[in-house]
Amino acid sequence: MNKTSLAVLAAVPFLLSSCIQDEQENTECDIEAVSLHLDNPNTFFVKEADTLLVAGNDRASSDLAFLIKSFAKIQSVPTTLSITAGATAYIESDGGVFVPFVNGTSVDFSDEQVHRFRIVSEDKAWSRIYNLSVKHRPEGEGYLSSDFENYYLDASGKYYVWDAPSIFIDETGKSTWKNGNPGFKISKSSALPMDYPSTPVAGGGPDGSACVKLETCDTGPFGKMANMRLASGSMFNGFFDVGNAIKDPLGATQFGSPFTFKPLLMRIWLRYEPGSVYQDRSGSPIEGIVDEPDVYVVLYRNEDASGNKVQPDGNDMLTNPHIVGKGRLPHHFDANGGDMLSGNPIHGITSEWQEFSIPVEYTTEPDPDILEKEGYSIIISIASSWQGGYFKGAIGSKLYIDNLQIFCEEKED
Amino acid sequence: MKHRIYTIIAALFVLAASANAQQEDSWEKWGPTRGLKSDGFIVRAGYVIGGTTPLPLPAEIRKINSFSPRGGISLGFDGYTMFSKRWGVSLGAHLFWEGFHTSADVKNYYVWLEQEGEITKGYFTGTNVTNTDLLGLTIPILATFRMSPRWNVSFGPYMSFYFMHTFDGEVYDNNEGIGYIRQDTPTGSKVLISKENAMSYPEDFADHMVPVSLGLELGFDWKAMRHLNVFGKLDWGLTNIWESNFEAISFKMYPIYGTIGVAYRY
Repeated sequence: MNKTSLAVLAAVPFLLSSCIQDEQENTECDIEAVSLHLDNPNTFFVKEADTLLVAGNDRASSDLAFLIKSFAKIQSVPTTLSITAGATAYIESDGGVFVPFVNGTSVDFSDEQVHRFRIVSEDKAWSRIYNLSVKHRPEGEGYLSSDFENYYLDASGKYYVWDAPSIFIDETGKSTWKNGNPGFKISKSSALPMDYPSTPVAGGGPDGSACVKLETCDTGPFGKMANMRLASGSMFNGFFDVGNAIKDPLGATQFGSPFTFKPLLMRIWLRYEPGSVYQDRSGSPIEGIVDEPDVYVVLYRNEDASGNKVQPDGNDMLTNPHIVGKGRLPHHFDANGGDMLSGNPIHGITSEWQEFSIPVEYTTEPDPDILEKEGYSIIISIASSWQGGYFKGAIGSKLYIDNLQIFCEEKED
Repeated sequence: MKHRIYTIIAALFVLAASANAQQEDSWEKWGPTRGLKSDGFIVRAGYVIGGTTPLPLPAEIRKINSFSPRGGISLGFDGYTMFSKRWGVSLGAHLFWEGFHTSADVKNYYVWLEQEGEITKGYFTGTNVTNTDLLGLTIPILATFRMSPRWNVSFGPYMSFYFMHTFDGEVYDNNEGIGYIRQDTPTGSKVLISKENAMSYPEDFADHMVPVSLGLELGFDWKAMRHLNVFGKLDWGLTNIWESNFEAISFKMYPIYGTIGVAYRY
């Protein structure tokens, strides 16, 4: 056998791999980050790092807002955009025409005016419009409430969104409750708005107005492919990084908003119907376990000793060492304080509406000066399955919620 | 790609021709075991290597990280008849188990998956791993040409029937940590995917493979001993392995497998 002919045969796979074509131009057109160049950032921002706005992985949102102190007055600021490689940025001029935007150009952000940017992909086939503004963070109040009456469909028309207290404003410039609905959309594209884990129930509240139903839902075949078989209905304040919902589901749920008061008590109307079969992450039923809802309020120090931002996520929202105060529904806990599944929950919520009072207990007294400087953040979090973050629970567990109130300590003048 | 196969064919002819020039062997000695114009059959055992691939490779495929064959067994026989000193035909039946594992880096690779009525679609950038096994029977009908006393080449169509095929794989981030799908369009939500939470291909993928494929086979036989051949062949699939209405993979894929082995001539 001739050596050359053997070599010819052996070369077949390599011939295939040598046929790599030229790389195509980028099709993406995202703003990845925006930065404002201020001589005195502390005049405007509570934290200097907030002059950089990193667009989350939820690149679906086209609204970007810097949040400055409630009393700060901002004018024209040199602005830099970081965009997809190869893409081109344009800004809408006064005449409504998009003109090329050069990084470092001053943009007038006075009076919360919104500027429209258009980003065009390298291959020129795709473009996105962004709305960029600088908004004032609302002044805190010593009382928060939410009756969940203001709800509407999101921009995609797929699921409902609820207005939240104004201090829960996020980097899209809006104050809305966060939940797992955007993640559910990834797994169950066919779901109608009322099939999502968090849905409004018109006329379902204890007072005959609307309430919210949080239901633990099956995530369907794609949820199974990703080993995330269920989604708990949820409602919380903070940020849901939908881009990370598959890669790092616990980390995707980022809890808390800066808060200048010391919360003392949460009051909320609840009723609960646990689903019939509790299942573990692999979908196997576990006998003798009854699903439980979760409701808690947490106050935490939002900066560590070196000045780095602290934001608890689904891994540590109840155990982060920067937590100073906590109030939670009663549950069984194991010897180490960890959540313990059981067949006889003690949360006391029944299928009839009742108002619950959850006091906040402090392990460290919040420092009034640090409170004033937005150095603490509050978490309010509600879920239909308390282990839903670990994809454990009973499909069909339903927690109905309404008329949430947070009472805080009065400040001395 | 096409010019490469011509190169291979040309190389085989050159080899055969040079072998011819060097041989002092007689046509009778290396001919069919009973006379020059005669019938016979050959039992073959070979090692199969190759892949199932889109042709040409789409621009979405940026890099082949790894490729390893799986299975790789071919067993069969050919009946042949020689009409003249140089020309004959053969008809064969070859059982095969062939397959491969490959890992490729892709950019903007369009994915469209339907599972129980749920659809997920978009553009994936990252690492795509594919494993496939094909088990079946190939029936080649070949024209045989004796280039020299010891060298035969044969060429002709074949038909493969698959008894079993598997096609599975997963997508995750590449070595640079980049792995995401843009939902629906390149401007849609960017969903990150990591190796720890890799997304697997749906289990029913292989159900969308066609049971029969057609192609062309090019082979050579070298008569090493009176009854023993060393042979090589290349099976070049010309029909898409996927059902025509299967949208999950946006391009056609063709089986291209080479075999080398030994054969016993009766």
